[in-house]
Amino acid sequence: MAFFEQHIHEAPKTFLSKYVFSFDHKVIGKQFLWYGIAFLGIGGMMALMIRWTLAFPGEAFPLIGHFLFPQTNGVVPPDTYAMLFTMHGTIMIFYAITPILIGAFGNFCIPLMIGARDMVFPTLNMLSFWLAVVSAILLLVSLFTPLGAAAGGWVSYPTLSLLIGSPGIGQTLWCLALFILGVSSTMGAVNYIATIITLRAPGMGYFDMPLTIWGLWLTAVLNALFLPVLGAGLLLLTFDRVFGTTFFLAGAAATSGSGDPVLFQHVFWIFGHPEVYILILPAWGIVSDLLSFFARKPAFGARATALSMTSITVLSTVVYGHHMYTTQMSPLLTQSFMMLTMTISIPSAIFFANWLGTLWKGSIRFQTPMLFSLGVVFVFGLGGLTGLYLATVSTDLYLHDTYFVVGHFHYTMAASVLLGGFAATYFWFPKMFGRMLNETLGKIHFWISILGLNGVFMGMMIVGYAGMHRRIYNPFVYEFLEKLIPINTFITWSAILMGFGQLFFVYNFVYSMFKGPVATQNPWEVGTLEWTIPSPAPVHNFDEIPVVKCGPHELGNPNLKGRDFQYQTEELVEV
Amino acid sequence: MAKIMAENLNQNDQGQEVISTVGMTVALVSFAMLFATLMMGFAMFRFTAPVWPPAGMNRPSLILPALSTLSIFLSSLSYIWFEKDIANKKGLILTIILGLGFMLLQSLLWGQLKSQGIFVSSGIFPSIIYAFTWIHAAHIVAAIGLLFWLLNFVLKEVNAKARRRASSVGKFWHFLGIVWFIMFMTIFVL
Repeated sequence: MAFFEQHIHEAPKTFLSKYVFSFDHKVIGKQFLWYGIAFLGIGGMMALMIRWTLAFPGEAFPLIGHFLFPQTNGVVPPDTYAMLFTMHGTIMIFYAITPILIGAFGNFCIPLMIGARDMVFPTLNMLSFWLAVVSAILLLVSLFTPLGAAAGGWVSYPTLSLLIGSPGIGQTLWCLALFILGVSSTMGAVNYIATIITLRAPGMGYFDMPLTIWGLWLTAVLNALFLPVLGAGLLLLTFDRVFGTTFFLAGAAATSGSGDPVLFQHVFWIFGHPEVYILILPAWGIVSDLLSFFARKPAFGARATALSMTSITVLSTVVYGHHMYTTQMSPLLTQSFMMLTMTISIPSAIFFANWLGTLWKGSIRFQTPMLFSLGVVFVFGLGGLTGLYLATVSTDLYLHDTYFVVGHFHYTMAASVLLGGFAATYFWFPKMFGRMLNETLGKIHFWISILGLNGVFMGMMIVGYAGMHRRIYNPFVYEFLEKLIPINTFITWSAILMGFGQLFFVYNFVYSMFKGPVATQNPWEVGTLEWTIPSPAPVHNFDEIPVVKCGPHELGNPNLKGRDFQYQTEELVEV
Repeated sequence: MAKIMAENLNQNDQGQEVISTVGMTVALVSFAMLFATLMMGFAMFRFTAPVWPPAGMNRPSLILPALSTLSIFLSSLSYIWFEKDIANKKGLILTIILGLGFMLLQSLLWGQLKSQGIFVSSGIFPSIIYAFTWIHAAHIVAAIGLLFWLLNFVLKEVNAKARRRASSVGKFWHFLGIVWFIMFMTIFVL
């Protein structure tokens, strides 16, 4: 389907052109991976500080507490606590998960899996990464401003995020950082969409694309459509803060034609709900592929999976109101949004059943990427089902703003996406660096992570159901929440366990990059295009553009001789 | 051999054209969503307000916005003239002049509003006028930058690559003209 063949560029020679200002999609992908992992560490530390405060209020944060909060003898102060949960959310969503799944694996996988030599706009790609770096610097600088970083929650609702609620410069920097990051992601999205439309290898129709590419493509579409919506909201919020416009200013401004704080919520969630799917769609795609690869059989109903992901993408744009049931919406609207939200469970159930169908009677290889993929199936099932309680107006009115919500979205966004990201890292590491990750360490990492995160997020759902509100510095000043101290302590220990488990990953990653066993061309024995070229992938990817002759999941075909998979470049073996 | 190379080159040009069309279209959809969001916010204020413009405020004079509209409309026409034959740079230069004229009229408009005592912080309607025209003007400034970049390029070479660039920049310029027209009609006229 390719419209033309890209030229083979010469390999860059200098350090700067090779590793820093590189046009190569694989290097940019790795840069995004480093970026994301670094922020995952920062965001994770913030999460631990939040958890420490909730389990042991008034006790100094161990090891680094005295260094970070000298005025309070190492105890996290209340205003810092608000900054911590704000920045934890912002960093994890925009600076850790987005770069890892969309930035790193989007860049790395798209050209390799569709048989292209690079993205269509390599310069735009490089610009996208460096804008993301500028944005990261702005965000990190905001931590050191006089009144501290943004502290109005990751959603930054006015009036908390206006000058009334946050007079410091931190919130303004937050707005600018996210705006720039939005520009950067939109650039990436334009690039991904154009690449997938125009550069698929000859013979590769849309349904011959691996589901990973489907997920990334739909994500890019949502990004291109809805990041500008957030951009508009952030611009207006910045104008309100800097120039004194009154878009989101309520109350006092009513005499001169009032602003409306709820407008920001509308704008934010018109973007925010698709954002949930922006984060999860790549993980769905990757898991759909990996389940098939490691169950050694074709993906069950691959077309139905692709189409149901597409219909979820479409539906995700019309359900945002379920985040705002408690904003005095008319009951007609809340019920419409409830119906539409419930409708999403139909396509979700279709592809979830397809995942189970893929596993059914497979000869499963329990290697690390597969363990993480199975982990995604489990936690996404839990996350998706608990979503129904929040989609229903009558239960949501009770559960709104409790830890149940926190548990729910961590199961879907944090747990599923994080495990999906790890599955992808373990799976494509050989193609990225030409070496294998250690399996034993990988399995230890998986088991500690899955135990830890279920302890954390299941615990959160329980305390939320018991009525514990989110974003409170010390909830135990309320008498009815005092009995929840032990379970909060349990959650915190689970979080510490999970944080500890990540050390295995960091060690494994760094060690294997230099000292791991050298990877063969196709260590997992699968047939998609990236495994037809050497590991690590050469600069121009394909010496000759491959011609695609069959689908991506041709595994376990009984007519195959000697091996149980075939490459996409081979004719489908029939009798 | 020469023929095959010529065909490859031709195919390459066609491919590049498809790519730049797809890329620019997606980018414009993104830009359109930005302005659509602003318009949605405006519509919400407008339809929930008991009177519009809000009490105690007069409509700004139509003269400068109308001149801006005329200027950006003529600039789009002159760009179409330029796109017909990109070797003829007069159309492009005229577009740049009209674009700069648009910016001049916008700054006169902001000055006029201030002299009438309508400041950024005087309420929701001035907020909308200022913020929307600022955001649009920022795009116009970027687009004028692109026009200069294009002029620099066509002065050196006139080929398929130049035509592709002219067509992409043109899409953006016409798009901004349409956005201005919608803003003019909804904010100033209606």
